[in-house]
Amino acid sequence: MSFWADQLILLPILLPLLFAAALVLLSGRQQQLKFAINLTGTLALLITAITLFWMTDREVWPNGVGVYLAANWQAPFGIALVVDRLSALMLTLASVIAVAALIFSYRRWSRAGVHFHSLFQFLLAGINGSFITGDLFNLFVFFEIMLAASYGLLLLGLQPNRIRASMQYVVVNLVASSFFLIGVALIYAAAGTLNMADLAVRAAAMNDSERLLLETGAAVLAIAFLTKSAMWPLGFWLPTTYAAAAPPVAAMLVLMTKVGVYVLLRLWLLVFADQPESLNAISGTALVVGGLLTLTYGTIGLLGSQELGRMAGFSAIISSGTLLAAIGYGEPKVISAALFYLVSSTLAVGAFMLLMELVERIRKPSAAMLALTMEAFAIDDAPEESAGVVIPAAMAFLGLSFFACALIIAGLPPLSGFIAKFSLFHALLNPAGLFIGNLYSAGPLAWGMLALIILSGLAAIISLMRFGVRAFWAVPDAKPPRLHLTEALPISMLLLLCISISIAAGPTSRYMERTSAALHEPQLYIERVLSSPARPGVPGTAGVEQ
Amino acid sequence: MEAVIAIAIGVLFASGVWLILRPRTFQVIIGLLLISYAVNLFIFIMGRLTVNKPPLTLENPVDTGLFADPVTQALVLTAIVIGFATTALYLVLLLTSRGLTGTDHVDGKEPRQ
Amino acid sequence: MLLLILTLIPFIGCLLAALLPVNARNREAWLAAAIGLIGLIIIGIQFPQINNGEVIRYQIDWMPEYGLNLVLRMDGLAWLFCMLIIGIFLLVVVYARYYMSPEDPVPRFFAFLLAFMGSMLGVVLSGNLIQLVMFWELTSLSSFLLIGYWHHRADARRGARMAFTVTATGGLCLLAGVLMMGHIIGSYDLDVVLASGETLRDHAWYLPTLILVALGALTKSAQFPFHFWLPHAMAAPTPVSAYLHSATMVKAGIFLLMRLWPVLSGTPEWTWIIGGAGVCTLLIGSFIAIFQHDLKGLLAYSTISHLGLITALLGIGTPLAMVAAIFHTLNHATFKASLFMAAGIIDHESGTRDIRKLRGLYKLMPHTATLAIVASAAMAGVPFLNGFLSKEMFFAETLLVGSSSNWWMPLAAVTMGVFSVAYSLRFINVFFGKPPTDLPKTPHEPPRWMRFPVEVLVVCCLIVGIIPSWSVGPLLHNSVQSVLGDQTPYYSLALWHGFNVPLLMSFVALGGGVLLYLILRTRFGLTQRTRTPMLYRFSGKEAYESTMLELRSAASRLERLLGTRRLQPQLVLLVSVCLAAAVTAAATAPQVWATLEPTTPHMPFAVLWLIGCSCAVAAAWQAKYHRLAALSLVGGAGLVVCLTFLWLSAPDLALTQLMVETVTTVLILLGLRWLPPRLLSIEQDKAEAILTRTRRSRDFILAVCAGLAMAAISYLVLMLPAGAGIGGFFLERALSEGGGSNVVNVLLVDFRGFDTMGEIAVLGIVALTVYGLLRRFRPASESMALPPQQTNLTDPAAQQTPTEQAESGYLMIPGVYLRLLLPMILVCAVYFFMRGHNLPGGGFVAGLLFSVGIIIQYMLAGTLWVESRLHLQPHRWLALGLVIAVITGLGAVVVGYPFLTSHTAHFSLPLLGELHLPSAFFFDLGVFSVVVGATMLILTALAHQSIRSHRLPLAAAEPVVPTGKEEN
Repeated sequence: MSFWADQLILLPILLPLLFAAALVLLSGRQQQLKFAINLTGTLALLITAITLFWMTDREVWPNGVGVYLAANWQAPFGIALVVDRLSALMLTLASVIAVAALIFSYRRWSRAGVHFHSLFQFLLAGINGSFITGDLFNLFVFFEIMLAASYGLLLLGLQPNRIRASMQYVVVNLVASSFFLIGVALIYAAAGTLNMADLAVRAAAMNDSERLLLETGAAVLAIAFLTKSAMWPLGFWLPTTYAAAAPPVAAMLVLMTKVGVYVLLRLWLLVFADQPESLNAISGTALVVGGLLTLTYGTIGLLGSQELGRMAGFSAIISSGTLLAAIGYGEPKVISAALFYLVSSTLAVGAFMLLMELVERIRKPSAAMLALTMEAFAIDDAPEESAGVVIPAAMAFLGLSFFACALIIAGLPPLSGFIAKFSLFHALLNPAGLFIGNLYSAGPLAWGMLALIILSGLAAIISLMRFGVRAFWAVPDAKPPRLHLTEALPISMLLLLCISISIAAGPTSRYMERTSAALHEPQLYIERVLSSPARPGVPGTAGVEQ
Repeated sequence: MEAVIAIAIGVLFASGVWLILRPRTFQVIIGLLLISYAVNLFIFIMGRLTVNKPPLTLENPVDTGLFADPVTQALVLTAIVIGFATTALYLVLLLTSRGLTGTDHVDGKEPRQ
Repeated sequence: MLLLILTLIPFIGCLLAALLPVNARNREAWLAAAIGLIGLIIIGIQFPQINNGEVIRYQIDWMPEYGLNLVLRMDGLAWLFCMLIIGIFLLVVVYARYYMSPEDPVPRFFAFLLAFMGSMLGVVLSGNLIQLVMFWELTSLSSFLLIGYWHHRADARRGARMAFTVTATGGLCLLAGVLMMGHIIGSYDLDVVLASGETLRDHAWYLPTLILVALGALTKSAQFPFHFWLPHAMAAPTPVSAYLHSATMVKAGIFLLMRLWPVLSGTPEWTWIIGGAGVCTLLIGSFIAIFQHDLKGLLAYSTISHLGLITALLGIGTPLAMVAAIFHTLNHATFKASLFMAAGIIDHESGTRDIRKLRGLYKLMPHTATLAIVASAAMAGVPFLNGFLSKEMFFAETLLVGSSSNWWMPLAAVTMGVFSVAYSLRFINVFFGKPPTDLPKTPHEPPRWMRFPVEVLVVCCLIVGIIPSWSVGPLLHNSVQSVLGDQTPYYSLALWHGFNVPLLMSFVALGGGVLLYLILRTRFGLTQRTRTPMLYRFSGKEAYESTMLELRSAASRLERLLGTRRLQPQLVLLVSVCLAAAVTAAATAPQVWATLEPTTPHMPFAVLWLIGCSCAVAAAWQAKYHRLAALSLVGGAGLVVCLTFLWLSAPDLALTQLMVETVTTVLILLGLRWLPPRLLSIEQDKAEAILTRTRRSRDFILAVCAGLAMAAISYLVLMLPAGAGIGGFFLERALSEGGGSNVVNVLLVDFRGFDTMGEIAVLGIVALTVYGLLRRFRPASESMALPPQQTNLTDPAAQQTPTEQAESGYLMIPGVYLRLLLPMILVCAVYFFMRGHNLPGGGFVAGLLFSVGIIIQYMLAGTLWVESRLHLQPHRWLALGLVIAVITGLGAVVVGYPFLTSHTAHFSLPLLGELHLPSAFFFDLGVFSVVVGATMLILTALAHQSIRSHRLPLAAAEPVVPTGKEEN
């Protein structure tokens, strides 16, 4: 593969960094210009991501794994950037959400803080870095970039509730980060390496004491990631934070929980794939149970919460609970279904986050209250005037997009949410696929997962319908909100994406199959990373001899 | 020596943990500082303890046995810097929180008496 | 292909309808009608094939791996239902055109109606179970929208929510059931499924599957105990009720049962579940119907009971029962639709639906009256009308089931017959008597075309009633054939089967009904009764709402129980979970612990750490009330750490730690001023004190455990021999290939330069965040007052501004010294920077040193003084540093090497002679610049707070009384 094509792997990290630096240099007055630059950067990122997506899937690099040796040092020693199907998929997802969030922020939020644009780019750099890097400690660094930027974005505009929320978010994440460090240190002590692929190799051949260190380190590390992906009981910061964050930022936060999930998936299948059965089973079960608990908590919270922000937060918790359980379950088919679910739910919840604010604009607490009491005492108001209310276009748009989001989150047909859940169930019941005389019978965990996911869907239906009916129907004279194109566009973009993946469900699911198949053959990945050579003849050597 | 430093790490970490569980933001920041010390030391000793063998390879060829493990040192350096940054950020967050919410309680409001 | 069009056009039409202007009633109606007609034509074309018993099938691959394809499949049954759906749709459209008032926003109405028809067609045409479920849920959704059409009315909203909650829940059950069927049979394809009923019935999962599917069907077709949503759905506009609750929505459940009849039926479970539900429903429904005062309410309950009848027939499970079921479905659709429309007309023309008010309408609207009477006669099962035939078949079947041994089934049937006659009479009654005077409007005949649909339907009733075998014979036969296949029984659709028990039962029912009605009217004052005897206690609406509210409040209580919104519990959980995970993981290999042997502690080192540890503990102890003390203690601990690094051969770390230590302390010192005073003693009552003590002891134990764990694991690591790590590689290559002898620095700028880049990015981000936070922020007003030390009037310095103090005041001398010191510090910085690559030092240390030099100036001379003389723009430093670093990295790319590849240039200058310049040097320069920029940005941002705080009215500047404030 040519040298210049390899540079593409670097771009998702370098582009945002450069753009961020450039944006810092501009003064705060040139808002339009800043926005333009930021948008250019993000779009460039999107294009890069899509190209990588295409290249990995077409296997332009052998096995569809592209390796980039930063500073030109052979794999275990230098820092290797690795892009494969999974990371390319995540990159694309990230940049899509980013574009949406950015466009949305044009109207209002990009002006809320001084350095919004540069922080936004930094955040992207962090997220992409965590998807691409193949080195544990480097992963930590990128996590920190991501987190620091997210703190900054979360604190945009001084508001007491935001400060309160970020106090939780920041402290929890700082502690989690120190756990991250402890974990990495232990793993280094055990394996004497930081490169993930190399670690996988060394983990396979370890004596008892080293294994002890490795497992302890892995456990601590896992806690750090699980905190990021908001597993119960580590994820209480999430609803509070999401409810307090500015919509575009919240949309990006949705992405960040998925980063935690991604890392778990990656390390889990790469390093611990060929660990002794017992360990694998134990930790797998633990993950599934944790996921199910998270799912339950999210369901309860969704049922219980009234305000939109927290509802969105809990739906995010539900989705990461589902994902964690699926990852722990570990069957290739389940994982591919989970990936489908990941994409669909991320897009939907992201759109939901953006929608939140617009819906809040039309809400009339008084009217909602009235509706509530009427429900409570089952009163009917006198049905004299039996002519319908005309819905203006803006309201129609809001209603439609809310409806669509609700459908996807609740997993009702015909949108991607249903297909994702169906394929998940299908994979749980028939991991070997459909055939006559199928004697496989799913275990209690699978049944529990199935039941819980269905229940969570039901909870979503009830609570979202309750909210929607109060917000859109119970307000007799809702004056249509003033919508700006830049606010409507991103939402519809995300939802259209959801629709298109549900129409193209066949190809999409096939892609996910390929991805998870690749994940379940770590040796290809390892072999690619460790065998890719540094470019010969480093110019540095020449002079130092004399 | 090993025992001493192990205990030291333990003590630092313990006092840090105790502090981050306290309700006042200042206690939390001190706690975070202590924890970061503990963690830095912890990463550092992963390369085992070596006295008087700083990784300065002044002459070629190098006998690797003569030097401490440079990797952990590099990692600790990065960790220190990032720790510094996050501490500063938390400090400012603490100040703003106190200014906007009028209290230095971590939840931004006094626990109801 | 035609099938695809058939399924798609309604949805296309839905889009078109939604786009038309608000008041385009006629255009909407024409559009809908056109689509209906196309549909009719299509199924008309299909008829010959269907008539030869063929099955038309059209498939598009969708997710073949998951066995989910878009399969459209039309057989006799599907054809019959299609005809029903489309036919009645057409009539409803015509009717709705006149029913909807001009100010109703019709586009929405017709759009939803079309969408609903589309999804109904989808359900009946599905050849794949999953696809069927999808359309099933779609019907729920679109019916939700239709019922809630007049959403400004609370009852409409509730009706919609109830209907949707119940049916959607059922849909989820159905989904689960279908998934299980798919798993058992090994395919979701309907043909395969229909073929393999045996496998399913013999499988262990049969019962759960059956229950789940039944739940789906029963909720949809409003069977007991899920019947309560249907009456509330009457809040919908009458055309909607006429369509949904006669022919389509509720029939979907029936359709599903018929569809899966060959697979699921024929077992006692089936009979008990389905039949049982059916019988209960038909009794309860018909009984309640008698006591309704609302025309539509009455019809709703009668619908429930008729659906119960059909369900019961299906439950019986004999082929003949199936025939009767299909036949009655058809009949019920016709007469019930017409009745709903009639009720709508009455409502529309007279302005009320209350049976107690309505009287003598016959004189006012004779045509409508006649039609309605005929239709309700059909509902009552009067001979020569279609209702009679199917009901008689039902009686016959009940007789077969209940042989002489058990008699309750026929009894139930007759009772239901009696009740239905009674409520039919109740309905008819509104046409007789003397015309009312107290109506909102004076009724009159509706427009010609509004009555037309009713006429059509009633004529159907008559035709079918009189010459069944000629009219519906073939259709019925096709559908029966398609369900039962070769076990299709012989049956005769004749009006007259001679004198037999069923006939007798019919007449008993008729007679009994009339009798019952009269008794009720005369004795029980039927018209005055406001509530149904015995059953009034159960009100669907209260039940539903209270359940929903209960659910909500319970959930939120539970959520508060399971979760928390406060920080401390979260941290407790986080730490303890992590501890637990680590311990469980570490406990897996106990034998490792046994192998350790202790080493002798090294005395001076131990003493050093004795100091360090006591500092840490003291800090932990003091941090609440004595902030300054705590800070200095932490500083002490930091110094010990720093010494340790030095001791254990890590000079770079020692240096960096030292610098970071300094800067952090300065930062926190700057911050201390803005923290609130903490009173030494907060008075607590008993319980609270205990609570606090328990919380503290919990935290203490947790902290100790955490510390122990850390100590243990560190000790373990130190005792275990180091494996062959990657360290050696770097030691070997640092000088030869990295071009520097300080391996750590080479690692930072070359081997792992990528980390360093990220690290400076973090610094930059934090600085920007801090700046963004503090730019607008002003410290809390009560903390703005000057501390007493600065305001006592004996001190001359108190009157001076910081600038004056620095220029002429008591700070002048140290200020001068420090100004002299500044260049030296800068030189040191440059020195550390230059040597960094080969000896301890480097960009980072240099940067911090540089900033410390400037901070000192700030501290002494005051912000204003410094900034009036020195304009460094931290933003620039920061951004440029980042750019330099990245560009340096990219330089390598330009010459064809990966990012950050280091390169050493050699050139000889005069004086300096030969010197070689590694590219890492520029990278380090970037680091330096970012560090300076970031640090200065943070510090100045903090420093400016003090300026702001001094800009305040002198009133606030008077000395605050020292109230047990922190000792600083």
